[in-house]
Amino acid sequence: MIINPVLLKEIKVKMRSWKAVGIIGGYLFVLAAVALFITYANSVDMYSSTINPQFSIGAYTGIAVIQFILILFIAPALTAGAVAGERERQTLDLLLCTNLAPRSIVIGKLLASMSHILILIIASVPMFSIVFLYGGISIVEISQLFGFYIVTAIMAGSIGIFFSTYVKRTIAATVLTYALGIFMCFGTIFIAVFYLRIFYNFDYQNYFPLFYINPLAGFSSLLTEQFGGQYGGILNMIPGLYMVNNGATKGMAPWLINTYVNIAISVIMLFLAAMKINPVRGSLFSFLKKR
Amino acid sequence: MLEIRNLHKKYGRFNAVNDLNLSIKEGEIFGFVGPNGAGKSTTMKIICGLLPATSGEVSVDGVDALRHNNKIKEKIGYMPDFFGVYDDLKVDEYLDFYASIYKIKEANKRKTISDLLELVDLGHKRDAYVDNLSRGMKQRLCLARSLIHNPRLLILDEPASGLDPRARVEMKAILKNLKDMGKTILISSHILSELAEMCTSIGVIDNGKIVISGTVSEIMQQIYSKKLIKIKVNDKLEEAVLILKEFPFIEKITTGENLIQAGFDGGDEDMSRVLNALVTRAIPVATFAQLDGNLEDVFMKVTKGGEER
Repeated sequence: MIINPVLLKEIKVKMRSWKAVGIIGGYLFVLAAVALFITYANSVDMYSSTINPQFSIGAYTGIAVIQFILILFIAPALTAGAVAGERERQTLDLLLCTNLAPRSIVIGKLLASMSHILILIIASVPMFSIVFLYGGISIVEISQLFGFYIVTAIMAGSIGIFFSTYVKRTIAATVLTYALGIFMCFGTIFIAVFYLRIFYNFDYQNYFPLFYINPLAGFSSLLTEQFGGQYGGILNMIPGLYMVNNGATKGMAPWLINTYVNIAISVIMLFLAAMKINPVRGSLFSFLKKR
Repeated sequence: MLEIRNLHKKYGRFNAVNDLNLSIKEGEIFGFVGPNGAGKSTTMKIICGLLPATSGEVSVDGVDALRHNNKIKEKIGYMPDFFGVYDDLKVDEYLDFYASIYKIKEANKRKTISDLLELVDLGHKRDAYVDNLSRGMKQRLCLARSLIHNPRLLILDEPASGLDPRARVEMKAILKNLKDMGKTILISSHILSELAEMCTSIGVIDNGKIVISGTVSEIMQQIYSKKLIKIKVNDKLEEAVLILKEFPFIEKITTGENLIQAGFDGGDEDMSRVLNALVTRAIPVATFAQLDGNLEDVFMKVTKGGEER
């Protein structure tokens, strides 16, 4: 089997550096701290003979939310410098004059970063074992969560790769990636709040369509659905925002649509990135240049 | 091996390459000479598929390089005028990475890398991190990388730039080896005297155009249709000038302190007649010599001080 040489090289270099150890160590430290805090908070009443049924849900939600936020922060950081870094090191031209297709370079870079994210997710599995001690969460739910993590990470990473090809500097690419990420996570909520306030007076009672590009909304919808539409949806705290469609089970679950939208965004971003780094490409917008 | 016809590359209104024509035969070493910004690197990048051409034709080994860019990548080894190395890889891993890109089989990979490291004299640095190599070593490693897939055409953009004299000599020796191996090489450099020694032909580019090309001797002949002679006398400078004026094949006489320089359009016999005349009339001649034009002179003459554009 021929493995993408860019992926192989990136994994070798990334795993050799102290940065990789630092990211994994820091990541696990934060998750462990959260897990410990939740466990401690729920075991204060140590003389009680009953087990609080809400504990496992609380622990699951706490660890899942922190992990999701960490992934949203880490994925763009790993990819935003991927192609811009090659340009800064003056190695991009050397790759492009080989018979390696531009799409292989882009995909190799993305997969290398995703392999890093995958290691973080796998390393976090023991943290979730705390939840299993108390029951209430199934393997299917954990699988859904991990699947959503991976797709979201690929989407965030693809945006990082996209900006990495369109701007020359790593720092600029990182800033632009986070800016778009912040818009997707929070800008869409602001738009939704204003829109629903003006046109529906918060009487919408459905998943706002713009939320399909919002990873936080998708994540919130996933947790909301996993707990029967009654718990876990952080965004439900904002009045008028519904993390499930009215009736909850009507049609495809919003978080699943979010997943498909994330995949579509990733494909588009990677396609544009591969096109951009191809030095002899035809421009998508060439018709605009013609007089 | 390489044919370029009517190549144009425009950046807005600026013509980086302007109707460039070039032909390099198999096994030839072609020196690409020109001032900064003349269009050497742009032309090289277009050949390698790293820049689109505005118009024109480029063919490598009979394949249209502009339309079927992917088909010529196996045939070309490109070394840019910068290092382009991954500092966090070892020398061996660096070459292994590019060998994987070119899908060199595992069985051949080890031997190819070993042979290349021997060729560029980096065998002893195989396990060293690229970051720890000297500039000259990094340049040689880059050259080894460009050879990893055994290309037929090598495009080397200023391979000796920024190297100390020793490293330049080493680089020159490697290039001579490559020449002996039958590689076709297009090399650009500002070190013109070195190009004269190793190149079978040379093209001088200025303002994106080839202004003169051919073998070194052909170029010299085109530029210097007349020879130059230099005569140094210990005394009687004016008398010597008068004697020289008696010969119809001597023209454009200029004088300095005890020094005469003149254009000479005669043969060896005429040369000895002039010397004989001077000596017979008791002119104390200290030096009598024919001046050879060199590539630096050619460069300055045909580019008309291109650097100042």
